[in-house]
Amino acid sequence: MNRGPFIFIGVLIIVSLSWAVTLVKPIQEAGNLAPIGKGESRVPTLLAGLALQGREVYQEQGCVNCHTQQTLATVGSDIARGWGDRQSMPLDYVDQSPVFTGYNRVGPDLANVGTRRTDADWHYLHFYNPQITSPGSNMPPYAFLFETRKIIGPASNRALDLPEGYRPEEGYEVVPTPEANALVAYMLGLSQAYDIEEAPTPEKLAYK
Amino acid sequence: MNLICNLFSSVFPSLGGDGSQREREQTIDSSMRFAVLGLIKGSVFWLLVASLLGLIVSIKLHSPSYLSEYGWLSYGKAYPAFWNALVYGWLFNAGLACVAWIIARLGGRPSGNSGLLAISGGAWNIAVIIGLFGIFKGDQNPYRMLEFPSYAAPFLFAAFIGIGIWILLAFKARAYRSSYASQWYALAGVFSFVWIFSIAQAMIFCMPAQGIFQSVVAAWFGGNLLGLVVAPFAFATIYYLIPKALGQHIVGYRQSGIAFWSWIFFSSAAGLASLVNGPFPAWVASVGVVASFGLFLPLSVFTMQFLSSLFASFSKIWDTLSVRYVFYAVFAFIVATALTILGSLRGIQEVTQFSQFNDGVRYLFLVGFAGMAFTGMVYYILPRLLNKELPNPSLADLQFWVQGLGIFLVTVSLVYGGWAHGALLNGSDADTIAILQNTKTYLFLTTIGSVLFAIGNFAYAVSFVWILLSPRTEKEQSADLIEPAPELEYTHS
Ligand code: HEC
Repeated sequence: MNRGPFIFIGVLIIVSLSWAVTLVKPIQEAGNLAPIGKGESRVPTLLAGLALQGREVYQEQGCVNCHTQQTLATVGSDIARGWGDRQSMPLDYVDQSPVFTGYNRVGPDLANVGTRRTDADWHYLHFYNPQITSPGSNMPPYAFLFETRKIIGPASNRALDLPEGYRPEEGYEVVPTPEANALVAYMLGLSQAYDIEEAPTPEKLAYK
Repeated sequence: MNLICNLFSSVFPSLGGDGSQREREQTIDSSMRFAVLGLIKGSVFWLLVASLLGLIVSIKLHSPSYLSEYGWLSYGKAYPAFWNALVYGWLFNAGLACVAWIIARLGGRPSGNSGLLAISGGAWNIAVIIGLFGIFKGDQNPYRMLEFPSYAAPFLFAAFIGIGIWILLAFKARAYRSSYASQWYALAGVFSFVWIFSIAQAMIFCMPAQGIFQSVVAAWFGGNLLGLVVAPFAFATIYYLIPKALGQHIVGYRQSGIAFWSWIFFSSAAGLASLVNGPFPAWVASVGVVASFGLFLPLSVFTMQFLSSLFASFSKIWDTLSVRYVFYAVFAFIVATALTILGSLRGIQEVTQFSQFNDGVRYLFLVGFAGMAFTGMVYYILPRLLNKELPNPSLADLQFWVQGLGIFLVTVSLVYGGWAHGALLNGSDADTIAILQNTKTYLFLTTIGSVLFAIGNFAYAVSFVWILLSPRTEKEQSADLIEPAPELEYTHS
C-alpha cells in the first residue's frame, strides 16, 4: 500500500473493469442496432432538414436541463398523462447524436410532443412567452428568438398573433427568427409514435 | 503604498524573518507558495461565480422572467454553467490545491518544479473560462458534467495532466517510503480523472457510441467524477486534518485500506443507478443499484473512523476553525451517501426519478462534503503558507455558520421539495403547472438558502483577500507563529 505504482495499478484495474463490464459489453451487445424498414415505414422515422436544425437550437438553449425525452411505461404515470403509448427503446435513438434523454423533468417529457402538440402557432406563442399559453409556467420566455420590428408596408404574414398585454407598440410586429422556426419544426417532428414490437406498453405488462 | 507592497508580496512572497523552528516545513511551503496560492485564488474566484450563478438559477425557477432578456443567461445555460463552475472551477482548484500541499508536506521534502504547477494551474483556469464561455455561447453538450464544449476538453485535459504530473513528482520525491491514507486518495483521484475523462471524451465525442449509450457513458462519467475524483480529494483532506489540526489520530486507522479499495470499487459503477426505468439496458442500471448498495461498506468504515476520531476530541472541535469544517463535511458525507444508497432503491426512484431530489443529494455531496472539507483545509494552509494569522477570526466564524446554514437549507428544500415534486410527477397525472404551484415553497426556500450561501462565500472572499493583503505584524515576523503539528502515524510504522 506504500507505493504509488500499487495504487495506480489497483485503480486502473478497478476502473477498467467497471468500464469493460458496464460500457464496453453492453455497447457490443446492443450498440449496433439498425433501423427497420425504409422510406415511409422506416422505424424510427427520420427528422427532415429544418427540424434537424431545430435539434441544434434545442441543444444550444439547454432545453435538456428541464425536459427529458424518454417515455417510461413500466413505472410512473407517463402513459396516463398521454406523454406516449409505450416505453422508449434504444432503437428510437439510433439516428441521434447527441441524445437528449435528460435527467430532470421541470417540464413535461418531450419524446412525443409532436403527436400531442400539433399546432405550430401554439409553439410560437409558447416560446415567445410561455405565460400566454400556459399561465403560471416557469419555462423561460425565449423572446430573443423573435424579432420585434417596425411594420414597413404590409404586415408580415409570419407575425405572431399576440393577445392583449403582450403586443408590441402600435406599428411594430413580432416575427420569429430562423432559429425559432427550426425549433418549432423540431417540436412538431418529435415523435416515437410507431410500433416497436419489444417495447413494453401497459397492455403488454398487464398480460405478463 | 503598503497595499501595493502587500499585493506584490502576495504574488512574489519572500520568507525573510520567518521563525526558525519550522525550517523544513517552511522550505517546502516556500517552494510551492506561488502555485498553491494561485489555485486557491482561482477557487475563491470560481466559488463567487458559482454562487452567483446558483442564485440566478434558483430565482429563475420561480420567477422565469428574471433576467430573461439576456439570452445567454437563460435557465438552460445558467444551470449547466452553475454546476460546471462549481465543480471544475471551485472544487477542482480547491481540491488540487489541498492535495498538492498535502502531498508535498507529507513527503517531507520540497519537490521543486513549482513552475509546472503554477503554469498548469493557470491553464486549468483558462480552460474553465473557455468551457463556460462555450456554454453561454450555445455550444453545450447535453450530458451532465460534460457540458463544456468539446473544444474546451483538450485544454482541460492538458492542464490536468500538468497538475497531475506535479503531484506524482512530489509524491516520488518524498523522504519517507511509507505512505499515509491522504496520499493514496490524492493519487487515486489524479489517476481516475485522467482515465474517466479520456473514456468519456472518446466514447461520446471522438468515436460516439450509438444513441442512448452516450447517455450511459455520461452517467458513468458523472458518477465517477464525484466518487473517484472529488470525493478522494476530500477524503485526503479529512484524513490529514483530523490528526494535524485536531491532534487526534484516526481511530481505527488500520481499516483505511478496506475503506479505500471498497470505496473505489463500488463508486466506479454507482453512478449508473440513475438509468433505471429508462430506455437503457436494464441490467446496466441494476449493476449501478448493486454498486450503490456496496457503498454501505466504505460508508460504515468512514463513519466509524471519522466520527470516533472527532468525538474523541469533541471539546476541541469548536475551537479549531478547520476542524469545524471537517465536522460539517463528515456529517454531510454520511447523509449524502446514505441518501445516494437509499435513492438508488427502485421503490424510491419511482418517486424521485427526474425530480430535484437528485440535485439535492449531489449538492450536499459536492458542497456540503467536498466543499466544506476543502474550505477547512484552506484555512489550515493559508496561515502556514503566508506566515500570518487570520486577521479576523470572527468573520471566518460568521462564514462557517452562514455557509453551513445555506447549504443545509438548499439541501433540505431540494431533497424534500424534490420528493414532493416527484411524488406528484410520477405518482399522479396532475398537470405540470399544478405540480409547480404545489411545490413553489421549496423553490423559494432554495433561493433563501442560495442567498445565505452566497453571503457566506462573500465573507470567505473578504477573509481571503484580507489575509493576503494584511501586513505582517511584529509578532508574526519574529515569533514562531505556528506550532509544530503532530506527526502522522505512518512515520512510526
Ligand atoms: C426552466 C425549465 C424549462 C426550460 C429551460 C424549458 N422548458 Fe419547456 N416547459 C417547462 C415547463 C414547466 C413546461 C410546462 C408548462 C408550459 O407549458 O409552459 C414546459 C412545456 C414545454 C412544452 C409543452 C409541452 C406540453 O406537452 O405541453 C414544450 C414544447 C417545451 N416546453 C419546449 C421547450 C423547449 C424547446 C425548450 C428549450 C428552448 C424548453 N422547453 C425549455 C420548463 C422548461
